[in-house]
Amino acid sequence: MLLVTCPVCGAEGDETDFHGGGQAHVTRPATSDPENITDQQQRDYLFIRHNPKGLHFERWRCDRGCGKWFHAARDTATLEFKAFYGITELPPAELIAQAKGPWADYFAQRAQETKKSK
Amino acid sequence: MLEPQFNSPLAHRSPAENTSIDLHEITTRGMIDLRGLSSDRKFMAAAKQVLGVDLPKSPRTSTSWGDVKALWLSPDQWLILCARDKAPALQAELAKALEGVHSLVVDVSDMRCVIRLEGEGSRETLMKGCSLDLIGGEYGPGTVRRVRFAEIAGLLHVIEDNVIDLYVFRSYADYTWDFLLKAARKGSEVRLFSKG
Amino acid sequence: MTGKPFRLPEGGARIDRNTRVTFSFDGRDIHGFTGDTLASAVLASGQKVFGRSFKYHRPRGVVGLGSEEMNALIGVGADSSHEPNLRATQIEIYDGMTAESQNRWPSLSFDIGAVNNKLSRFFPGGFYYKTFKWPRAFWKHVYEPVIRKAAGLGKAATGRDPDTYEHMHVHCDVIVVGGGLAGLLAAEAAALSGARVVLADENPELGGIADLTAGMIDGVRLSDWLKPLIERLSAMPNVHILKRTTVVGHFVHNYLMMNERVADHDPHLMREGAPRQRLWKVRAGHVILATGALERPIAFANNDRPNIMLASAVRGLVERYGVTPGSNGVVFTNNDDAYLTAFVLKKAGINVRVVDSRKVTSGDLVQRAIADGIPVSLGAVISAVEGSLAVKAVKIADYRKGQGRVITEKRVECDFIAMSGGWNPVLHLWAHNGGKIKFDDGLQSFRPDVHRDAMTAVGAANGSMDVATTVDEARSAGEAAAKSVLKKTKALKLAKLEVKEPSRGALESLWFAPATGKYNEGNKHFIDFQNDVTAADLELAQREGYESVEHTKRYTTFGMATDQGKTSNLNGLGVLSEATGKAIPAIGTTTFRPPYTPYSFGSIAGSLTGSLFLPVRRTVVFQWHTDKGATFEPVGQWRRAYTYTGTGEDKHQSITREILSVRNKVGLLDASTLGKIEIKGPDAAEFLDRMYTNAYSTLKVGRCRYGLMMNELGFLTDDGVTVRLADDHFLMHTTSGGADRIAAWLEEWLQTEWTHYKVFVTPVTEQWSQFGLAGPKAREVLAKMDPDFDVSNEAFPHMSFKIGHLGGYPVRLFRISFSGEMSYELATPAGYGLSLWSALLEAGSEFGIEPYGTEALHVLRAEKGYIVIGDETDGTTTPDDVGMSGMVSKKKADFLGKRSLEQSYLKGSGRKQLVGLLTEDPQEVLPDGAYAVAEVKDKPPMEMIGQVTSTYMSPTLGRSIAMALIENGRARMGETISFPLERGKVVKAKITDTVFYDKDGGRINA
Repeated sequence: MLLVTCPVCGAEGDETDFHGGGQAHVTRPATSDPENITDQQQRDYLFIRHNPKGLHFERWRCDRGCGKWFHAARDTATLEFKAFYGITELPPAELIAQAKGPWADYFAQRAQETKKSK
Repeated sequence: MLEPQFNSPLAHRSPAENTSIDLHEITTRGMIDLRGLSSDRKFMAAAKQVLGVDLPKSPRTSTSWGDVKALWLSPDQWLILCARDKAPALQAELAKALEGVHSLVVDVSDMRCVIRLEGEGSRETLMKGCSLDLIGGEYGPGTVRRVRFAEIAGLLHVIEDNVIDLYVFRSYADYTWDFLLKAARKGSEVRLFSKG
Repeated sequence: MTGKPFRLPEGGARIDRNTRVTFSFDGRDIHGFTGDTLASAVLASGQKVFGRSFKYHRPRGVVGLGSEEMNALIGVGADSSHEPNLRATQIEIYDGMTAESQNRWPSLSFDIGAVNNKLSRFFPGGFYYKTFKWPRAFWKHVYEPVIRKAAGLGKAATGRDPDTYEHMHVHCDVIVVGGGLAGLLAAEAAALSGARVVLADENPELGGIADLTAGMIDGVRLSDWLKPLIERLSAMPNVHILKRTTVVGHFVHNYLMMNERVADHDPHLMREGAPRQRLWKVRAGHVILATGALERPIAFANNDRPNIMLASAVRGLVERYGVTPGSNGVVFTNNDDAYLTAFVLKKAGINVRVVDSRKVTSGDLVQRAIADGIPVSLGAVISAVEGSLAVKAVKIADYRKGQGRVITEKRVECDFIAMSGGWNPVLHLWAHNGGKIKFDDGLQSFRPDVHRDAMTAVGAANGSMDVATTVDEARSAGEAAAKSVLKKTKALKLAKLEVKEPSRGALESLWFAPATGKYNEGNKHFIDFQNDVTAADLELAQREGYESVEHTKRYTTFGMATDQGKTSNLNGLGVLSEATGKAIPAIGTTTFRPPYTPYSFGSIAGSLTGSLFLPVRRTVVFQWHTDKGATFEPVGQWRRAYTYTGTGEDKHQSITREILSVRNKVGLLDASTLGKIEIKGPDAAEFLDRMYTNAYSTLKVGRCRYGLMMNELGFLTDDGVTVRLADDHFLMHTTSGGADRIAAWLEEWLQTEWTHYKVFVTPVTEQWSQFGLAGPKAREVLAKMDPDFDVSNEAFPHMSFKIGHLGGYPVRLFRISFSGEMSYELATPAGYGLSLWSALLEAGSEFGIEPYGTEALHVLRAEKGYIVIGDETDGTTTPDDVGMSGMVSKKKADFLGKRSLEQSYLKGSGRKQLVGLLTEDPQEVLPDGAYAVAEVKDKPPMEMIGQVTSTYMSPTLGRSIAMALIENGRARMGETISFPLERGKVVKAKITDTVFYDKDGGRINA
């Protein structure tokens, strides 16, 4: 029974008080450009998920508590939570540095966007 | 025509018997679900104007002014408690004060069943149905916590050390009452960490 | 020894000789004393056989002291209170208890299955896999039933369990598992440091085996020294002690499950309200394992005979219960500890000799035994056991370590054997959640290594078999645990303890004692008693190529089932080590799985049985429905009235009556279960445009619109009517089953994707009771209710909305219809729901109003071709599949599922499309879910082209109707298709459109 902490309300509780929402930081293509999405982009968005042994970024909802969604970083081998962070936030820098696969790409893109906007 | 007759969720049940704590339904409570952004100063000010008290900003806390209590449910949601017969007027007053402010005020006085647990062992009784550490000192008077209780959604509001109100959705009233009767029955006390 | 030869005239620290207890074992009355276990009382009565073994049906007796008992498995309780597979050594007896042995037929002393033993050369390791392969059909009809009858352990109770159970949660800083010397000291240190401590022990008394251990603290015997410590701990406000409580599993994030046997030992407590058992769910900051160690049997020839016990078990019998297994014993050992048993026996006046496999040894205890005149054979093993239902004699052979054959032996008469192959730390909980273990040469056993969780093992569980080390490491572990969990601890000042204990000689591993003759002919060296696995079976598995220990385990069943290898694991590894020439660490270990000992299904279910089995949701009219003879239909957790069957009619008749009442007069439906969600904010309309396939920004205030919702895959997930209360304010209706799901769905998109939207979503389902008033007379009923608004068709047309009053009732009214009739849905605050329901029935009585249930509702809507999400859709159904592509906006740039509808796999022909069906025989009702085929053949396979989604006898039309999803269905209008049913029956039906009644919709707008 995982022990989960909601970063919004601070409540700590059994995983049955929460709802797991799968892989985090998946971009929904239709939100930004609904007219120009290839079949493959849509397929990847719907079905392709990363399933590593080790660091995994995921979504959770404080289902029976404050009702808010949040992010977690968890090691899938040890089940240890490395961080909980807000649903619109990025993980702590040291975890971004360790990120692999689609997350590495996503965080790099976000970093670039931040640079541009500055 | 039949005149409107009010029935509380547990009106058809008889009083609790053979329990080690006192269990009873609270039927006179009005409830208003209030949504707004705690970062919105206009919203917070208008709410205070009507309620007479600041909405709590700290998670799992509550504030009160006379009969009116404000229970923190999430960063943008509060449950306002008042006397049942005052709820429609209070709802209207809040809605009026919040016109033009991003908010949602709904009278939900009939949506939940409120059961009061009173007496030594109230916390242990609740711990038969939820995984909270209710005896660990984190749940003093005024604390509010929504939690999975006996597999359904519940809300706990600690009134005093040994007095706790449990809120569940109305349709689960019978189920919850049955669960509590079983959990609190005499002879099944757990007496966690208590001596003698 | 006269009269009661097995109950010693004195001794027995646990029993009260002044209180006699009588219970029944296999129908025979047995007398014991308060404090006896079933094992001690039955042994005291002279009975040695407690059961028959799993595979060979060999007679078996008690072997162990406590939870490690693998043979004497007993069923306790009569009829539906029966619990099987309990260990005789843990069962506390009480007056009136009924117990029975297991796995024997017809009796313990004569067992037909024992022929298996005679045929045992045909039952080698892997026997199941080898024998029962062919012919295939035999497995289901012959092999499995026979094996189940002959082999099963206990039998499950068949009736409803009359006892109560419950669950309980507890949080603590430190949980100490095991209340022996180590556990008590660790708990004290943690508690004195300020930690909140739970101490759980599976036994009725704390102290572990301190009473069976040599040594003194501060000049006092261990068990006496512990008494004041136990009293101090019990009085501490930050310590909660649980006896008779087994920690059955350790899981991720220091979550533990414990089973407390609250009233098993005293059913009187249950009559006073106590649960029989309580399942605890523990969240601990730190776990201290003080689970002790279990003694190993020795693999010698026929080591499973009744009255061959572990040395600690014999010691416990004498010391705790004043019971001896016999009058002439042999202690067979490879270590010093078993000598304590010899001393205890001698002191009780029982003949005893020691057979020690070690040629040379020098510990204090050995010297003392020799000095006391106990016959000790060093460099010797037991090579044969005579007797089958009881031990009659043994042969003692000279032995040198590693010797495989017997050269010289002598016969010695005896009636019991106490064996000790050394001690294994109890590592089950350590290993449940991935703790690493390492091999210890001194112990010839595994001990804890590292654990990723906050967990420490102390004392014997940590492989520390002496008192002095145990005391030190228990205290420091307790203190360290408190420090690791608490921000601030109290300074710990503990008096130094003076420990005195005998020196110990080294243990010498003995994995296999050579036997007289060839051991695999007539002699069996049992490794796993419970699963009837012998050393020869393990060696055979090796020869047959099962080199991995995990493969050997599954092939031979060694270490499996309820015992989880408690006594067998290491001996098995030892045999494999000798068979392969590899060291034990290189062989590896098998996995320990929860539970440590089995616990009952009752405990797992807890209090959630009977009316609490499922959280059932009731509307305010539930009791009224019940009183009016309603049967109920589950919709999610709701119970909805299905039909109201009156006297003198059956369900078919009542459903027909209800349908016709709506079509011809007026009906009333409890629709309170429909999901209701308020949605408000400046972006609410845009948000709904994203959520639904159709548009809501164009909806006028006060008007209703039916909406379709898809998931991102483009498949239908919900539908319902939404009304616009104000420019920025909507009230959404969802399906009854979808209320919570859709509210969460809306929140998810608001919180995770369109986070800039200013929209609040508040579910209000339960605030309102909602009733459907449907039928040509509906408006007249409404008019009689004293409305404070105009109910005329012009002022209140179809798909419009009103807020107002009906007499004294505050109501929200929706002119919407799911029946095709003129229809209103009325919502009032739930507290007035029952009252309004009754008022509507009263007002409608002159118009012939009748309540109708969900089945009538379904027929009414099917007659109109209205879909139900979950009936006409199955999670892979698109709007176009159900003929509703017109409701999918072409104008909106983006909404959930839109892009997916363009995916290649959802385009093109071949999709199943919703059509109506009229059977050739109008009285023939197609079964729900019946498959249509392209061509009927004599036997399957046949090409399936679709299936029936809704099917009813329509009383309105006087014939059957159905809807179905059929490949390219809309292009096949007028075609007749076939539905092959059971036993060659084929039903033919013509494809039509889905609207069977009032095709132009005149009635709805009337």
